[in-house]
Amino acid sequence: MRASKIIRRYTNGWLIASLLGAAAILLPILYVMSGLLRPVNENWSAVKAYLLTDYVLGSAKLVLSTGLLATFMGVLLAWLVVGYTFPLRRFYRWALVLPLAVPPYIAAYTYGTMTSYTGIIQSTLRNQFDIRLPHGLIELSSTRGAMFTLSIFLFPYVFLLMRTYLERQSGSYIENGRLLGRSGWSLFTRVVLPISRPAIIAGAMLVTFEVLSDYGVASYFGVQTISTAIFQTWFGMYDIDSAMRLAAWLLVIIVAIFLMERLLRRNRRYGALSSRSKPLQPVRLRGWAAAAATAGCTLVFTIGFALPVAQLILWTGWTYSKVWRADFAHLLVNTLTGAAWATIIVMALAVLSAKAVRMFPLAGAYALSRLMTSGYAIPGAIVAIGILAVFIALDGWLSPLYVWLGRAEGALVLSMSLTMLLAGYVVRFMATGYNAVEAGYDKIPRAYTEAALTLGHRQGGVFWRVELPLLRQAILTGAALTFIEIVKELPLTLLLRPFNFDTLATRAYQYAIDERIYEAALPSLLLVALSLLSVAIVLRLERGRVR
Amino acid sequence: MQASWKSWTIGAALIMALALVAGCGGGNGATGAKNNSQGAADPAKTTQEQPAEQTEQTGGEVNIYTARHYDVDAELYSEFTAETGIKVNVIEGKAPELIEKLKREGASTPADLFITVDGGILNTAKTEGLLQPIESAVLDAQIGEGLTDTDKEWVGLSTRARVIVYAKDRVEPSELSTYEALADEKWKGRLLVRSSTNLYNQSLLASLISIDGEEAAERWAAGIAANLARDPEGGDRDQAKAVVAGAGDIAIMNTYYVGQMSVSDDPEEVKVAEQVGVFFPNQETTGTHINISGAGLIKHSKNQANAIKLLEFLTSKTAQEKISQANFEYPVNAEAKLPELLASWGEFKTQQLDFAVYGENNPKAVEIANKVGWK
Repeated sequence: MRASKIIRRYTNGWLIASLLGAAAILLPILYVMSGLLRPVNENWSAVKAYLLTDYVLGSAKLVLSTGLLATFMGVLLAWLVVGYTFPLRRFYRWALVLPLAVPPYIAAYTYGTMTSYTGIIQSTLRNQFDIRLPHGLIELSSTRGAMFTLSIFLFPYVFLLMRTYLERQSGSYIENGRLLGRSGWSLFTRVVLPISRPAIIAGAMLVTFEVLSDYGVASYFGVQTISTAIFQTWFGMYDIDSAMRLAAWLLVIIVAIFLMERLLRRNRRYGALSSRSKPLQPVRLRGWAAAAATAGCTLVFTIGFALPVAQLILWTGWTYSKVWRADFAHLLVNTLTGAAWATIIVMALAVLSAKAVRMFPLAGAYALSRLMTSGYAIPGAIVAIGILAVFIALDGWLSPLYVWLGRAEGALVLSMSLTMLLAGYVVRFMATGYNAVEAGYDKIPRAYTEAALTLGHRQGGVFWRVELPLLRQAILTGAALTFIEIVKELPLTLLLRPFNFDTLATRAYQYAIDERIYEAALPSLLLVALSLLSVAIVLRLERGRVR
Repeated sequence: MQASWKSWTIGAALIMALALVAGCGGGNGATGAKNNSQGAADPAKTTQEQPAEQTEQTGGEVNIYTARHYDVDAELYSEFTAETGIKVNVIEGKAPELIEKLKREGASTPADLFITVDGGILNTAKTEGLLQPIESAVLDAQIGEGLTDTDKEWVGLSTRARVIVYAKDRVEPSELSTYEALADEKWKGRLLVRSSTNLYNQSLLASLISIDGEEAAERWAAGIAANLARDPEGGDRDQAKAVVAGAGDIAIMNTYYVGQMSVSDDPEEVKVAEQVGVFFPNQETTGTHINISGAGLIKHSKNQANAIKLLEFLTSKTAQEKISQANFEYPVNAEAKLPELLASWGEFKTQQLDFAVYGENNPKAVEIANKVGWK
């Protein structure tokens, strides 16, 4: 079908609504991209000469190692809890998502301090047993530290998307595989892995994005990445133009990776016609196999959640009386308000654009959707500059309206309100929402949609009656992920918030930046609790539906 | 059918618009109507909207963009409000980001004061044309000489010294002399310092560029990079810990971290602070490097009088003593008494440089650090 014909056939409210959404999100991103068009200054050559190679290599190393490790852990653990039963399986089915509730930069500080000379491990050994470890033996530092922290605290992206996919994906492929004599490792590699590709990729992409845009962990451990190069150019050389240029190149690379991936799986379809049929029947593990499965999950859960949280609780005990201020209720409300509204908007736009991409199977539509989600892969502060530029311009245009409403000439209204911060959240976290919804759409066969259309439903009816019920799980997952992300968010909040708007994350940052990690424990802990709450809500909704 | 789903789309769009609007409303409610910064542009209007009991005291407000993030600052702001009735609105952030925000907001900015740490950044705000001269006899009297911008576009609030700490059991203070001497072969594999991406190091290097010249500074940075006991990692406190752990013998770090560790909630950190000595380098020569925390008056400030009142409050004897007690920073008001620990370190000679130099030489410093491979 020719493009023009497709477009004519589908030109309707869906298209218009999703294009509007896309435009709003793309504006700040395009602003960042426009960094490529501005003239090069002399700093850029210094950046190229001394920074670029090392930092690109540093990023590549970190992305590859973390990406592989996190994907490996996520996929394996997801298959374990879906495909088998073993003691505590039902607990770990959701508990292994929890490391996501711990912000990686907080985890970096926590583990960095725990393993340091004054940390609990070394000080206990030294004071109780008079054992002095040689320096550098257990200290988490540099690439090792960043790899560890990012893998352990980001793998749940892969785990969650993969698990949801496997559970909702009809068990028939896997049952058939079993009937045909595949089991254990060969079932996993020959059947489970190939059919789960969209979910694995969606999860791995989120991990990759997060690693690329990470600044907190990399700068704590002193790892040189593109993100740290961006900030060194901005903060050190006072050269925001060159910093934006670096960020723009980062964007170009991201979109290229996406297009390549799409090209590679061009001809495959992952929809399952028997989507509503019986779910996968897990196999019972016995003896040492069951013990090993439980032990493995316990180990990951302990390192990724129990241990750091226990440490944070201990530190909170030390500093509680000093840190507690009456405004903590405000912090909670602010965090909650921002995250809830932004999540709702993200999910609405994600569904809209995923639907649009499904209706217009064009490379252009796909590239556009990827560009919309690319805000996730560049450092938050750079996204923030794009947003700031757009909002200040917007306030300029709206100025006559403000004057008419009785404001002073040239007042900043939108850019001094929460709207700007919400817009920032939406631009930055489209990816978490969109990826989940897209993976959900991928497994709804087009035949469903086409059948419904043939039966006389319009696109709208098809969406509400056929697709939405099937997407429910994916939307819930995406919403939970997005919510947790926003609760943890820091750089955008710092730069885009209105006066006196503190969140739990900014309060934690306020202490951590000054190396007062013990004081940062209380807000961090509350932040983790809030994320836990959202996971619990999703679980409840999910249970209500499945049973 | 066609109509029905079209109305859906419109409905969805409406819900989104509502969500946006309500989102702002929700935020305002949540922050207790603190978000009337737009009103800052129009003081008369603000006063009208304020409840009566607030306007009685004097009312008004002062809006701050700050890169300082200490509890004691927040306490002082609320004391100021209690004393004067002037409400203090705050946005905390990273200094370069706040500068970018100020630049983009231009004449519309609601900000009255820009507060940050590092003379270089204060100077950047000045050269970007964001500030204006502060006229106040009170401030002139309260703040020590050399701790205010030459054109009075910013005033100092506190200072900190960047010193050498050493392992008391392995290093004699007599072995130490200057920053320059740290690049000697003698300290190979024994020196610890955090990453050159850190502003404290950049300003130190910037000051040395000015004192010793660019070439000498580059040789110095190369010597530092070569002498490092390990790749730079962690913050200033981590360097002191590493000294005690035996990873190296001496470290470059800021005084106030030693102070904070000495009163830490973690007994292990207190032990670390006890096992290191503090040495003020360059006493015989060019003086110890200090850095300054200060506040600039925004050029387009709409509440100038309030802003200056706040600065006078923050540099008063009592406020200065509070800052120094809580943070172990050195006061800029000579009348303020030093906390015991700082007093025990004694007086010291400081670098006699215009803080503007830190800003002017900063890009050069970053370039040198990258070139010589000081990570």
